[in-house]
Amino acid sequence: MTRLADVLRANPLAGAGAALLFALVLAAAFGPMLSPYTPTRLDILHKLEAPSLSHWLGTDGFGRDVLTRILYGGRVTLAIGVGVVAIAFVVGATVGTVAGFIGGWVDAVTMRIVDAMLSFPALVLATALAAVFGPSLQNAMLAVAITLAPQFARVAHGQAVAISVKPYVEAAITLGLPRRRILVSYVLANGVGPLLVQSTLSLGGAILQTASLGFLGLGAQPPMAEWGADVALNLDYVRSAPWVTLAPGMAILLAVVAINLIGDGLADWLDPRRRTEFHRGPL
Amino acid sequence: MTGFLVRRVLSLAPVLVLVLLIVFSLVRLIPGDPAVTLLGPGATQAQIETLRQQLDLDQPLPAQFLSYVNGLLRGDLGQSLKTGLSVGGELLLRLPATLELAIVALVMSIIVGVPVGVISATRPNSLPDHAIRLLSLVGVSMPAFLLALLLQLTFATWLGWLPVSGRMSPYVAAPDLTGFVLFDSLVTGNGAAFASAAQHILLPAAVLAAFLAATLGRFIRNAMLETMGEDFVRTARAKGLTRRQVVLGHGLRNALLPAITIVGLKFAEMLGGAVLTETIFAWPGIGRYMFEAIKNRDYPVIQGTTLLFALLFVGSSVLVDLLHALLDPRIRRRVAS
Repeated sequence: MTRLADVLRANPLAGAGAALLFALVLAAAFGPMLSPYTPTRLDILHKLEAPSLSHWLGTDGFGRDVLTRILYGGRVTLAIGVGVVAIAFVVGATVGTVAGFIGGWVDAVTMRIVDAMLSFPALVLATALAAVFGPSLQNAMLAVAITLAPQFARVAHGQAVAISVKPYVEAAITLGLPRRRILVSYVLANGVGPLLVQSTLSLGGAILQTASLGFLGLGAQPPMAEWGADVALNLDYVRSAPWVTLAPGMAILLAVVAINLIGDGLADWLDPRRRTEFHRGPL
Repeated sequence: MTGFLVRRVLSLAPVLVLVLLIVFSLVRLIPGDPAVTLLGPGATQAQIETLRQQLDLDQPLPAQFLSYVNGLLRGDLGQSLKTGLSVGGELLLRLPATLELAIVALVMSIIVGVPVGVISATRPNSLPDHAIRLLSLVGVSMPAFLLALLLQLTFATWLGWLPVSGRMSPYVAAPDLTGFVLFDSLVTGNGAAFASAAQHILLPAAVLAAFLAATLGRFIRNAMLETMGEDFVRTARAKGLTRRQVVLGHGLRNALLPAITIVGLKFAEMLGGAVLTETIFAWPGIGRYMFEAIKNRDYPVIQGTTLLFALLFVGSSVLVDLLHALLDPRIRRRVAS
């Protein structure tokens, strides 16, 4: 906790990011309970109403309360972002660590596949995979996770290669410990730090990509509330009732800004050269 | 230098084969029988068989892959299931629009990103630095579709300064030499066409440029701050060089080399953003072609566009390495030895 306090003290913007993200998570978790509306109930008589006391962010083309949809959509978008990173973490860390620890041709072949997957613009590969799997939220999640996993594999591989030659790993091998135990308890356990930082750095991108797939119609399907899909759903009203279209987009922006602020703070804290800049005066 | 290029391209061979394998596998990942899925529920058995033959699905997998690669080498990327047109031909037709958009976006991002990074680094923790850092943060966090809609609303709908979408006004005849409208209109001296093309490209290019400009600004700031703490900078100051000479000649110059890597890699990633940007701005490039193919479940087109984006990505990484070798005497010497 002292370390976390240090990070926040050294970089107040990271603290602001953490507070903003906490507020968004609270709003998504408990907001829907406070809203008198349901996210999917149609009310055509009150469609496209401007923001008012009864509908703080107005209503959409089907008369649904925009704020309520954003609160419910937050659950989906934020949970999907975390889910995508979790899948990418588990798959990428496993593949990268095993390849780096075993070495030889297994390592060479695996890492060339990882390189090949990194040769695609992430959004293009995710779009192609989601299109092939079929439009659904689960498939979009899987597609984004597949494009993120190679980044985790790269980081895990670097860690595994460096840790595998440490004296304590060599000692464990000499003692005859099972390879699986060495892999999990020594190599993976000691290399997990940079992977956790990678998770924070990837979370914003994962949310943006999943929202982009939702916007292209490859993610959440109607009537489910999801921020990216809701922007696309209300695209026709962008000129007549811009708040309907822009509000879910702004929610994505706020969430990604908050996550990136935290990621920046972590990167600053971990890099001593960058840490010094806070104490440096003008040139 | 030629040796360097040859070695670099040869080292790509295994990755390129795997890239082809991934793109080839895309259609094979369709759940169930791809031919049945592609043709939909109303298809007859004869239609399904024809498509299976057309896509080589009746062959064993290795034979399918060889046939796919063989076709690629002859420039055959298959036919669109929707229009029956050659995917390769359609891609070539649309490539200039996407490249033109990407190049303008690249120039815009450098014009904005580099000075912003320098200003931020020379006055760390000042008000302009905080403002620039906040804006850069918003730039890297902004969903492309949101920025596109905000720019369209502001500059096209409310202010009426720029067109909402498209590549050219329908009332202006576009010269067609290379497919690069800005270039063609300049070469032919067609001022009206150039003005129309420039007006149309500004907003979509700004959307693509925003992410790269923000990334570049942040990178240059951090790289320069690191460089300014180095011994050679202290020596330069002790020697009595002016602040301008130190900042531009030592700080920026040393930050620019790694910045080229960032620009090269992010440029290719920016191309990926073309799917969203071109769709919103009705820009007739590869990104929009891919979006239409997704809507129509036109898998050969999805395969073709994915492959082209990957090749552009790989190509730009080779270009970055070449530029590094050209600009950095240490790399040149290493290659020569």
